[in-house]
Amino acid sequence: MVLDRLFGRRPQGKTDWSVMSSIIRAEQRLMARGEISPSRRGGLIFRNDESIPFLRDLKSELDPVLYSGPGATKTAFEIQDDEHGMRWVVMEDGNFEDLVSSIYTVGNAMGANGAADTLLAAVFELYFTGTVDDNSFRSGLRTYWIYRYDRKAFYPFVPTGESTGDRDKPTEVSLASRSRRQGMVIERNMEEWMGLWGIPF
Amino acid sequence: MTSLGMRKFKRDPGLVSRMYFTMFMLGVLYALFAIVLWGLSVPIVFIAVIVGGFALFQYFSSDRMILWASGAKLVTAQEEPELHRSIKRLADRAGMPMPKVAVIDSRTPNAFATGRNPENSLVAVTTGIRERLSERELDAVLAHELAHVRNRDMRVLAIGNFLVTLTSFMMTFLFFGMFMGGGRREGGGNIALVYLATIVVYFVGQLLVLALTRYREFGADHSGAEISGDPGALASALEKISGQMARIPEQDLRKLQTASAFLFIPVALKSGGGGSLFSTHPPVAERIRRLKELERRMSFGMR
Repeated sequence: MVLDRLFGRRPQGKTDWSVMSSIIRAEQRLMARGEISPSRRGGLIFRNDESIPFLRDLKSELDPVLYSGPGATKTAFEIQDDEHGMRWVVMEDGNFEDLVSSIYTVGNAMGANGAADTLLAAVFELYFTGTVDDNSFRSGLRTYWIYRYDRKAFYPFVPTGESTGDRDKPTEVSLASRSRRQGMVIERNMEEWMGLWGIPF
Repeated sequence: MTSLGMRKFKRDPGLVSRMYFTMFMLGVLYALFAIVLWGLSVPIVFIAVIVGGFALFQYFSSDRMILWASGAKLVTAQEEPELHRSIKRLADRAGMPMPKVAVIDSRTPNAFATGRNPENSLVAVTTGIRERLSERELDAVLAHELAHVRNRDMRVLAIGNFLVTLTSFMMTFLFFGMFMGGGRREGGGNIALVYLATIVVYFVGQLLVLALTRYREFGADHSGAEISGDPGALASALEKISGQMARIPEQDLRKLQTASAFLFIPVALKSGGGGSLFSTHPPVAERIRRLKELERRMSFGMR
């Protein structure tokens, strides 16, 4: 089916798969070195717009996209609202590659159904263990990778608290350089590394 | 300061000679300025009173003026025992008297030193820098500031700034003269020429002062690293405060949705960066590179 091809595991969509999938190999290499341990969680944040039919009942729209046809996945998802009036598709999958692929698929499905402009970012959670540039050690620290849809690149985000502005910049810089070396597409303009405080997963 | 204390840490000879050169050049400008005043037939006593009065005022009140302007609050050893202990330890190692200690209530990470000589000096830090830096990094920054005091950078800076201030006074004065028709007995063309000369003097003076402040930053990095014995910590502090890390925003991505229209211009302006001729500090990357180099040499016991 055309729809399956469009929304399958490796769809030819608007978001560049080669960019988003760059996180898979980079993180697998860092995992192999024990610097990163995977989390099962990721998500996608967007501005809810009731005038777009696809967003009105997103859950029932996404069910066939994710669970039927040859691209069917086992990724679990739920829809949540945050305190900033944004909506999240929170996803869970033990297989990191499947998680990335499912988030990519959801983003593309939304993009193909008139909601491209509502997409802010895709977010992946990972745990980091290692020494940061200022010689301090981090053990199993919760970190996030943010993929901004408008910039088409990743950047690290390590909040140190719930309030806006609290972030662990040394770890972020360290993560970015490690991952860039492994071929991940990193946002070069660090002024664009906007945080997302209070991620609901 | 005792001569014994001075010998402990060699002064950067390049810094000293450049300081004297700049002082000389500033002196030349000073004379030029006096000639300009003379040419305007300002009585010589009056010239001396203006020039001398401003110099003395600036020299003796600079620390109080800076305290007032920065909102820094003097703190006692009882109020801030840790900060006092660190500064005392570093001042002892540098062979300097204990400076006054002040804290500025600001989230912006910053630190500065002031004072006309080591006996009358002050070191101030913001609450922001204390939050962000580790103890080692903060010590390295404090050592850098103490090095400014020991190299007597503030004295030369005060002279430079004084000249610039006075010249801008002069410019305003001449502006009034030109537009209010209150010219001197000589023609208007002369006044314009004098005005042009004043601008040139002002501009060249500024460039000299800026070149000096950039150079003395390297000097203070170097002697500060000798005082703290930890150039790597200063490098990482610099990296945290003003390196690439400082560019990471503290804004939420969700806020961008509404503010994006206004972001365009500041970003475009920021990318201009400003030429190195006009900046007060040398590029951070260059300072970090030199500190890491120094760290390598120090770790091999070389100087």
